[in-house]
Amino acid sequence: MTSTIVIADDDRDIRELVRISLTRAGFEVVADVDDGNAALAAILALAPDVAILDVAMPGLTGLEVCRLVREQLTLAHVNILLLSAAADDASRSAGLTAGATDYLTKPFSPRELVARLATMSSEEQ
Amino acid sequence: MKALFQRVLRIVSVDHPSPLLKQAPTFAAFVIALLLVATVPSIVVTHPIMATIGICLLVAGTVLAGVFTRRPQLHAWAVIVPVIDLVAIGSFRAGTGGIASMFGAMIVLPVVWIAAEKSRAYIILAAVGSSGALLMPYIFGITVPQDGGELVRAVFTPLVYLFVATIVNELARQSRAQLTAIRNLADDKERMLQRTFEYASQLEESEAKFRSGDRMLRGVWAAVTEQSVIGTDVTGLIDAWNPGAQKLLGPSAQEAEGKSYVFDYHLPQELEDRARELNYPPGATVLNPGFSALVESARLGEAESREWTYVRVDGSTLPVALSVTKRVDEAGDTVGYLFVAADVTQAREVARLKDEFVGLISHELRTPLSSILGYLELMKDDAEHPLSDEQMQYLGVAERNAHRLLRLVGDLLFTAQVESGKFPLYSHDVGLEHIVTLAVESARPVAAAAGITIVEEVADSTSVVHGDPLRLGQACDNLISNAIKFTPDGGTVTVSLSKTDKDAVITVRDTGMGIAASELDQLFARFFRASTATRNAVPGVGLGLTITKAIVTAHHGEMDVESEEGVGTCFSVTLPLLQVARVAAS
Repeated sequence: MTSTIVIADDDRDIRELVRISLTRAGFEVVADVDDGNAALAAILALAPDVAILDVAMPGLTGLEVCRLVREQLTLAHVNILLLSAAADDASRSAGLTAGATDYLTKPFSPRELVARLATMSSEEQ
Repeated sequence: MKALFQRVLRIVSVDHPSPLLKQAPTFAAFVIALLLVATVPSIVVTHPIMATIGICLLVAGTVLAGVFTRRPQLHAWAVIVPVIDLVAIGSFRAGTGGIASMFGAMIVLPVVWIAAEKSRAYIILAAVGSSGALLMPYIFGITVPQDGGELVRAVFTPLVYLFVATIVNELARQSRAQLTAIRNLADDKERMLQRTFEYASQLEESEAKFRSGDRMLRGVWAAVTEQSVIGTDVTGLIDAWNPGAQKLLGPSAQEAEGKSYVFDYHLPQELEDRARELNYPPGATVLNPGFSALVESARLGEAESREWTYVRVDGSTLPVALSVTKRVDEAGDTVGYLFVAADVTQAREVARLKDEFVGLISHELRTPLSSILGYLELMKDDAEHPLSDEQMQYLGVAERNAHRLLRLVGDLLFTAQVESGKFPLYSHDVGLEHIVTLAVESARPVAAAAGITIVEEVADSTSVVHGDPLRLGQACDNLISNAIKFTPDGGTVTVSLSKTDKDAVITVRDTGMGIAASELDQLFARFFRASTATRNAVPGVGLGLTITKAIVTAHHGEMDVESEEGVGTCFSVTLPLLQVARVAAS
């Protein structure tokens, strides 16, 4: 069974980049949205296997969405990967503290993104 | 009448009578005597020669007195005049009846003159002179003593004159002493007056100086309107409050001075925290540890400047940069403190905006770069539509340059963080061997492409330092990539790691183009590029070494450089080894 993915990033090109890379790798992108509120709605509605969230988004930030999702016991299985332009350790640990499964800094390599998602799914099984 | 009298007094000085004035009574008595001889029939000239000699001598004496009066330098000899007078009177008496003559009485006049002279010897002169004059009739043989009584008279009368001379001499002596005393007194008074005048003028001068200084101080005090200057005693009670303080905090000088304490304008919590931080210093007031914390450094004689929060009377707050210094009295004892503060609201706002701007720029630059790099990779990795070698090569160039741009953004962001003093270090104990080896390994492909040999010389023993491995790696990367950039094809870059007693030393030596000696001291400045770099078109913006130095400094290390143009450059980084650092810290 292919993993279902929700993508949230306010930059259309990045969103598209993620979508293309994941589709090519055989993942199923069930929704791509451009702000935090829409991201939360999509995750609550679709309960995807993985949510890829940009940290700096209009509306709710990626960190806030992450925290809110973690409060939902029914969504405990959702892996969350945060994308951020901030590369420092403090931002990384803030992301992981908020409940993210993984943290990737921009610019990222699509190959690495796919590899990390693959690792997540293999850990699930 | 009075005026006339004073004019006469001025002419005939009574204070220092001239010889002529002293001669005047004798002369006048002689004139009267001559008039009596001429008019009174019973007074007759018995011996015309002696009388004439007497008159002539008197005239001569008077003339001499005139000469002495004109020549003040001869005054010491003026006593000759009364002596001549004595002889003159003696002769005149002898010529007008001898011992029967009434003119013997005139002798008293020159006797007084002689006796009034300073020395007691003149008493003798007066006595001898007067007896000589009285005995003249016997001396010249004009008459002879008739009986014993006459002889006694000849002895008794001079004796009386001796007494008179003694009394006059003594009186004159006393009056001279009194005169001298009075003169001294007058001189003293004069000197004291002079001194008083001098003192008064000095006082006036220093008062003028003081006034001008006071005006200056008042002017400066009133002119400082952008900084608050508050003076307190040792307990913090305010005794000076400048217009700047009023502007910053609200109350006027009248409202603040003597009525409030300086810590009334501070956040109590901030003072409390500082006091705890300083472990409650034993300060000026035991009752207020916050105030003691505020003045602790100043009390110890150090000028302290740090940021505090002032609280206005309306409760609003403002951040200030506050310098505290102590006030001392003439003995050097602390009598209070001075608090000079400047509002740093604006400076903080500027710093915040700068941070925000740097963050925004870094985000805004990274996002498009993410797209560029991501899509380039997508294109290269597209298995369905593989690219030709040529296309792959072009994409490689685009990718390399996008990475270069990315590094530049990172460097700019890092430089901004260094400048604002906010660059984070995530330090733990790290082995330098691993960091150096990793940096060398990652540089090998680039070096190989440029035809440069990299030699790694790492000592066997481990060098552990306390530091951020990412930043230390960045420093090594910077130095190695610099060395490769500045070394021509066929050159060598040697990276070594060694140890001294206390330090680990990383050196990166190249056989490159080198740096001009005159440029070595500017090497670590932001955006500085060596002339050899620009001349040889080596790419870069001049941030690498600035960043490397900042990293090394943040690790309490030192950087050094040696270079010779055309021969090569050697950079060395010295970092304190952990064991030593721990010992030093404890």
